Amino acid sequence: MFTSNPFADLTVFLPPFAMQAFIVLMIIAVAIGTVLDMLHKSSAKFFALHVAKSNAAATRYLSGAETATLAVKTVAIEVAAAGEFCNPQRRISHLLMFYGFLFYLITTVAMIFGYPTHAMPTPVVLPVLWNIGVIMILIGGYWFFFLLRVNVVHDGQPVFRLVLADLFIVTLLGSVTFALIWEFVQTSGNLAATKITFGLYVFFTTLLFGSVRWSKFAHMFFKPVVAFQRRVDEARGVSSLPAPATRNNRS
Amino acid sequence: MGLFTRRKTVFVDSDVLVIGGGMAGCGATYEARYWGRDLNIVCVEKANIERSGAVAQGLYAINTYMGMQWDENQPEDHVRYARNDLMGLVREDLGYDIARHVDSCVHMFEEWGLPMMRNPETGRYQREGKWQIMIHGESYKPIVAEAARKAATKVYNRIMVTHLLMDKTKAGRVAGAVGFNVRTGDFYVFRATAVIVTAGGASHIFQPRSVGEGMGRTWYAPWSSASAYALPILVGAKMMQMENRIVLTRFKDGYGPVGAYFLHLKTYTENAYGNEYESNWYESTKEIVGDYIDHQPVPTCLRNHAFLEETKAGRGPIRMVTKEAFKDPHLETVGWENFLGMTIAQAVVWASQNIDPKHTNPELTTSEPYVMGSHATCSGAWASGPEDCAPAEYQWGYNRMMTVDGLFGAGDTIGGAAHKFSSGSFAEGRIAAKAAVNYVNDQGNDQPQVSETEYEDLKKAVFQPLENYTIGRNEIVAGTVSPSYLLPLHGLQRLEKIMDEYVGGIGSHYTTNEPLLTRGLELLDMLREDLNFLGAEDLHQLQRAWELKHRLIASESVTHHTMFRKETRWPGYYYRADHPKLDDTNWHCFTLSRFDRESGNWKMEKAPVYHIID
Amino acid sequence: MPTFVYMASCDGCGECVDICPSDIMHIDPTYRRAYNIEPNFCWECYACVKACPQNAIDVRGYADFAPLGHSVRVLREPDKGLISWKIKFRDGREKNFESPIRTTPWGSIKSPSAYEMPGPDAFKTQELAHEPEALNIEKLPALTPISLNQGVV
Repeated sequence: MFTSNPFADLTVFLPPFAMQAFIVLMIIAVAIGTVLDMLHKSSAKFFALHVAKSNAAATRYLSGAETATLAVKTVAIEVAAAGEFCNPQRRISHLLMFYGFLFYLITTVAMIFGYPTHAMPTPVVLPVLWNIGVIMILIGGYWFFFLLRVNVVHDGQPVFRLVLADLFIVTLLGSVTFALIWEFVQTSGNLAATKITFGLYVFFTTLLFGSVRWSKFAHMFFKPVVAFQRRVDEARGVSSLPAPATRNNRS
Repeated sequence: MGLFTRRKTVFVDSDVLVIGGGMAGCGATYEARYWGRDLNIVCVEKANIERSGAVAQGLYAINTYMGMQWDENQPEDHVRYARNDLMGLVREDLGYDIARHVDSCVHMFEEWGLPMMRNPETGRYQREGKWQIMIHGESYKPIVAEAARKAATKVYNRIMVTHLLMDKTKAGRVAGAVGFNVRTGDFYVFRATAVIVTAGGASHIFQPRSVGEGMGRTWYAPWSSASAYALPILVGAKMMQMENRIVLTRFKDGYGPVGAYFLHLKTYTENAYGNEYESNWYESTKEIVGDYIDHQPVPTCLRNHAFLEETKAGRGPIRMVTKEAFKDPHLETVGWENFLGMTIAQAVVWASQNIDPKHTNPELTTSEPYVMGSHATCSGAWASGPEDCAPAEYQWGYNRMMTVDGLFGAGDTIGGAAHKFSSGSFAEGRIAAKAAVNYVNDQGNDQPQVSETEYEDLKKAVFQPLENYTIGRNEIVAGTVSPSYLLPLHGLQRLEKIMDEYVGGIGSHYTTNEPLLTRGLELLDMLREDLNFLGAEDLHQLQRAWELKHRLIASESVTHHTMFRKETRWPGYYYRADHPKLDDTNWHCFTLSRFDRESGNWKMEKAPVYHIID
Repeated sequence: MPTFVYMASCDGCGECVDICPSDIMHIDPTYRRAYNIEPNFCWECYACVKACPQNAIDVRGYADFAPLGHSVRVLREPDKGLISWKIKFRDGREKNFESPIRTTPWGSIKSPSAYEMPGPDAFKTQELAHEPEALNIEKLPALTPISLNQGVV
């Protein structure tokens, strides 16, 4: 199961073009959702105002090299290493989901566009990475959902009382869980069951990418930008926080 | 609670149960372990002991320290000081007891890591005033909480205790408590041999000066919800001096502390026209209280009285003159850090209004009344005193035990010992704990037993507001207005208005009389009935609902006591317009009350004031 | 001056929810980040502000009486045993302060169980733990009233 391209098997009941069109539609949905969210909240305007205020209050200026270094640091620390999480368990669960999602997405696109049918044999690495990605998301995601959500762990909410903030994780888990189930069911050869589980996979995937306007999905685009600006602010002396204390009090 | 989750009942057994993890509670927990090495010691707190209670933001001074090691003060002197400040009416035995132990508490704090300021010349603790020493106390509470955590068998955070439980085998003996987990909604039944109540006194029973967001900026912590009083009152413990509410003169709006300013910065007050004003009121004050006005230092309430009279005469705002003192950079730092380590909000107020005391003399104001046992006032439970110096009438058992067997108290909870402050509350917690351990050891196999009927009934009552809301909510479309339930905030604001208008709040110039008090009781009666219809949307609102219920019981007690004492003993704290003078002939005594929950009646009586120190 | 949480900095860790003495810091259901649900019960004790590992919580003075444009921010550094404050007035003036908060390492307090057990006689005396040594005087003061006076002194 883990070594064969599950999307190629779809051609039994689905033309390859359908999945390719679906992927394009989902990309558009994410873009539109993100833009609609930003327009609705005027968040771009807010951010522009913040940058202007920061520029005006800056006590020193950064060179191109310094700015580039900060950008690299942001990518390396905040993005690649999930450095914004102070809780180590949340950080690990996020990294599992983040890199799992990357593996899963990239290999999905590669398989659907590069190897849509069994005419060309799919390199084993693609379905293997696809499955690894799926499993990473499932581990990180269910761990987060059941044991790490702050509203459950710290705020006493029951696990299954869902709030709007859960929209992203629930649709993500739904999508990826049914991806795995569909892949497994498909290998049994039962066409009806395959269609049902595939249908559920598509349903949750559509919800996931279609609900970007209302979910926390778009935060994955906003957060690196905000993190970079925060580094810039700090480097330019624009902060209302006191500087770290200099004397050592240990007697 | 979710669709598929059932509310659990959790049983917690202990030998000593400490209710409330503030200064007194942490002191009690520590001391209980010292004497009860093998005992099961549980501390339960509705918030998180790391920052709970009045010392959440820290303190800049420890206001009760004798300095016996340097012959600075003796405990008898402190009793005289507190007695003088309270116009003669204190439990001298309790006060002496705290004063003789408080120095060891302070030395323990220093050993634990509390940064003490030192006088550069003498090397001693830096005095702020005769009784006060200065500290860098931002982490005072976390340090003390660490000691409690090391001592306790277990600390339960986020559990609000709502009621005490009585022994079903022996009348008049406590057996534990019940409460609920503010996060999970589980019901908790604490079964204990000895119970030490170290909960908070009463803020938010009188209407505060700010009523919007600013409602949160009470002088005393908004989470002091009078549990210290409600818990004992409901099981029939006698209370004392509940009429003795305190009014504070502090910096405007932020209620920032003035102690360091007066004592260390040597600032003084003046009226709006730059004139000294206290002497204006000497004669008229003497007519009310007689020779008490001649005592030195002038009692706090009498200084308030002059302040109030001056502002009533239209010569406010009263300001504190700081411009001179703030020229000294050291004093300027002290002036600001005084707030940052204790009442940060005052720094925020001044920053927001561009007030720099170097250039502006800031305004003062008087607060709404508070009822508590640990400050320049001593309302609280009537407790048995120390065996070696309490008069016979003040002793019936173990030290700091109330008139209910096995029920101990410390801090705000216990009346009669004024000017405890943080260190004295901690000391009293320790005193109560040693006594409680002795009580536990003496019970032997005669353990109190909780009644299943009692706690099952209480369980229903505890969660009733949640049900009221869920069911009643079906009647209306949306919003806060329902004909069948009240939100906790509604009840609180009604309570505060009643107390303000009828029991001597700021809106009535702290003045009341018997007709007003009678009407006030009628309105409180109706409010108490209405509190059966509190509607709590979630567990946080349920906590607010029970805080309100505790506040109401305390308010009823305050009102009964205020009605009973037919004199004006503390002008500046409150006035009985129908008995406008101090009356030592008839009222040089304590007022005691006992609430009987079967009949719903309050029984008032007088108790003699024994002066054991000259 | 109630607290508020910066959207860009809060990562929803829950420290503020755990520490708040007033039980008013909770998790917003849309963003899963913290916010102050009841500013009229906020004492501005700064417990949450100090506890936030991301410095994501700040205070805006109570609207009842505090004009806008001020800032009082804190950096508490428990490992150094120090706390730093930066106060900004509405008119731009600034004041900075730094104070000690503890002189010993966190977690270093000796448990009361670690001390020698008091003897049976000690239970019946007035001395509390570590007394009289911890008083730094020879004996715990005691008072034997020779006579009781009722009434005014």
